[in-house]
Amino acid sequence: MTEGTQSQSIALSAHNLHVRRGRGKNAFSLGVDHLDLHAGEVLVILGPNGAGKSTLLRALAGLERSVAKDVIRGGDGPVTLVFQRPAALSGSAETNVRAALLGKGIPEEVKRQRVTRALDRFDIQALASHDARTLSGGELRRLALARAFVLEPEVLLLDEPFDDLDAEGQRILSLDLQQAIEDTNVAVAMVTHDLRRALLLADRIAVLAPGKLAQHGLRDEVLLRPNTRDIARTVGMTNLASGRVCRQADGVSWIQIETGFEVPTTVGLNQDQKAWIGIRPEHLKLDVGRGDGESIGKAVVESLISDGLATVATLRVHDRRFTTHLLSGRGLARRLRPGDSVSLAVRPDQVHALPT
Amino acid sequence: MSDPELQTLVEITLRTLWVCGSALLLALLGGVPIGILLGSSQFMSRGLLVSSVNAGMGAPPVVVGLIGSILLARSGPLGSWNLLYTPYAMIITSTAIALPLVIGLTLAAVGSLDDEWELQVRTLGIPRHWRVWLLIREIRMGLLAAVIAALGGILSEVGAVNMVGGNIAGETRVLTTAIMMHTSMGEYEIAMSQATILFGNLLLLAGLLTWLQQSGRKR
Amino acid sequence: MLVLRRTLANTAFITFTLAALLTLPSGAADKRSMILATTTSVRDSGLLDALLPQFTEATGIRVRVIAVGTGAALRMGREGNADLLLTHAPASEQVLADEGIVSRRTPFMENFFVIAGPAKDPAKISAAISPEDAIRRIDAAGAGWVSRSDDSGTHKREKALFHAAGLDPEADRDRLVRTGTGMGLSLQVAGERRHYILSDIGTFLAFHKRVGLEVLSKPGPSLRNIYSILQLDSSRFERPLHTSEAEELERFLLTKKTQRAIGAFGLDKFGRTLFTPLYLADDAPASPVSK
Repeated sequence: MTEGTQSQSIALSAHNLHVRRGRGKNAFSLGVDHLDLHAGEVLVILGPNGAGKSTLLRALAGLERSVAKDVIRGGDGPVTLVFQRPAALSGSAETNVRAALLGKGIPEEVKRQRVTRALDRFDIQALASHDARTLSGGELRRLALARAFVLEPEVLLLDEPFDDLDAEGQRILSLDLQQAIEDTNVAVAMVTHDLRRALLLADRIAVLAPGKLAQHGLRDEVLLRPNTRDIARTVGMTNLASGRVCRQADGVSWIQIETGFEVPTTVGLNQDQKAWIGIRPEHLKLDVGRGDGESIGKAVVESLISDGLATVATLRVHDRRFTTHLLSGRGLARRLRPGDSVSLAVRPDQVHALPT
Repeated sequence: MSDPELQTLVEITLRTLWVCGSALLLALLGGVPIGILLGSSQFMSRGLLVSSVNAGMGAPPVVVGLIGSILLARSGPLGSWNLLYTPYAMIITSTAIALPLVIGLTLAAVGSLDDEWELQVRTLGIPRHWRVWLLIREIRMGLLAAVIAALGGILSEVGAVNMVGGNIAGETRVLTTAIMMHTSMGEYEIAMSQATILFGNLLLLAGLLTWLQQSGRKR
Repeated sequence: MLVLRRTLANTAFITFTLAALLTLPSGAADKRSMILATTTSVRDSGLLDALLPQFTEATGIRVRVIAVGTGAALRMGREGNADLLLTHAPASEQVLADEGIVSRRTPFMENFFVIAGPAKDPAKISAAISPEDAIRRIDAAGAGWVSRSDDSGTHKREKALFHAAGLDPEADRDRLVRTGTGMGLSLQVAGERRHYILSDIGTFLAFHKRVGLEVLSKPGPSLRNIYSILQLDSSRFERPLHTSEAEELERFLLTKKTQRAIGAFGLDKFGRTLFTPLYLADDAPASPVSK
């Protein structure tokens, strides 16, 4: 992830992108008013299945047939798309990567250098002479990325690049990809359903609702300030509830969800206004008297599920469920048991709210 | 076998080779591009064309021969070309018989590729003629199958080639028509030696092509 | 491996080119040629292979022999797809002559048909007094009969014989086999089934050892097989025929030398001659006349 993203140049700017597929009942259409891809930045495209994420990528790649669009390019470098299921040409891995440079008038010496560098980026030099069809899923993904990067693209579109990889594979690929992006300053748009991976890589986020672009902006903007509850769920703000502003003090509005359960927020609201609140799991704290935030009410631990790194604690408040993340193996995660009663706390500036 | 008989045998064999070779070449030069085109594009009347190809594959060669002899006869629409009873008519007819086969098998080979193969190659920014080369490279095993099938069909064609060639000694007699003629005359010994040569050629060529096919697999 | 492939490719290319060069028909434009349509039994006898090379050497005219069924040969004449016809189906030939398609019909050689059958001769036709009588005996005895049923010269003669015997050739008989194919194959079928069959002498001689049948008929006028040269009227056709070449061939076939050769033909191959020339008698006209 790069910092100071505002001043990066725009590699691709799409306006009025309209894609129509199929006919009649099965017709699918996607409309995007405006979307920019910035050099050296990763735009992660999120959304429910069928919303049109892959279609959007393909439209940006120029592969969709019925597209009405204005696309302004910042430069004239290549735009390439790595598919969800990359196709391997018959031949060795090296042949595959070389193939990308066919017919471009590149001298042999330069080709060789670029191919070596591309293989190197994704750590598959050892596989260079292996038959591409014998590669494992993970190796094939690396090959596809090497093939994309050998083009020295200006815009790189990735469709589920981490599909089929185990956690470790994903981690390493993610690192290599980040390094490559940094080295080449390529503008990246990525579709992934793996939220965690997405959040680690994203500089910007675009959220699609069926057929349209619902929200886009800088990572934190979208993560912390989703415009609708659907978008909130898509970006992982899973603790949602609605209520009414019951009191206000010191620039903080308290929204009563239920009796004994009031959530403070710094978002500007009016007294008695109906609003819904959203809290990211990592911002929902268990009150242990450390002054982590304002107390908002009590909950009962329903379940604790650990994946080795983080423990997801599901908490019950009457008939609502909230989730929070705890560090596995430490303190609270070790002491808590299902059925325990806990106190919840949040920082008002970490609570998102929107009038209903 | 006497000297003139041997000479005739050699002459007939050579003619068989060049007539069949030419027909194979033409069928491939015409059929492979058409097969690739049909296989990789989507357009309205595609289904109709593919059905025609399939029908053509099953069309009895003797029917093609009949149509050819009617068209090319002096009294026929193409009579002014004076092609009937020449090796060229035989080449044309054999090509017509083998063409649907080559198109059909090429089409199948293209169809066996991943749906998105073409798109993926396109997205690498590879120019068109290189993409075609990559495609051919990708389906080369299927193409080899088409070559073997077409060659077998062309070499063993007898009825149609007899009709449009006339089996004229020294001009349009090939191994298959000669075998048929000698058999009907009861000259089985000559027919057998010709049949042996024909079969030998077929085995040799089929063997070569199969060797090519298998060695291509290992790579 | 690559070297081997390249060598193979080169070999294939050289063989191909060589084959083409050696067998490519020479420039036909300046050489004279003509199409002679005849029947498969004429071709099968080998007579033309014996006679035509001398003709080509003497005149430089290339004769392209197309041997098909009688019906097809006559049809070729009807449509102007041949320059000269050599057939042996007098009745059908006359039809073409009456229509004016054939401008001149010249019978030039003959041989005869035979009724062949199993040596045992169950219908006892060797005692028949005529070919028609033989047919009647076969019918009466309910013996097997193989018919070519292909409108060939032989088949037409077969039908004529049946009619002359007072029988319907088309009627379904118990042991009647219709092959719809050539003489050789039909003889083989007759041999397998031990049936009787009508055949021309030339093909019979070529096959008789193999099929185990014997000639059981005696020669008679109704078994005469007359071969004629049919000259076509070129003016009837859109594309002109090679009439001068056709006339030269006809003249050649009627010369004393050729006629003598025709009469001698067959001795080495069959131990007996196959044809009787019709133009050999001293009082035979020296040049063709219309009949």
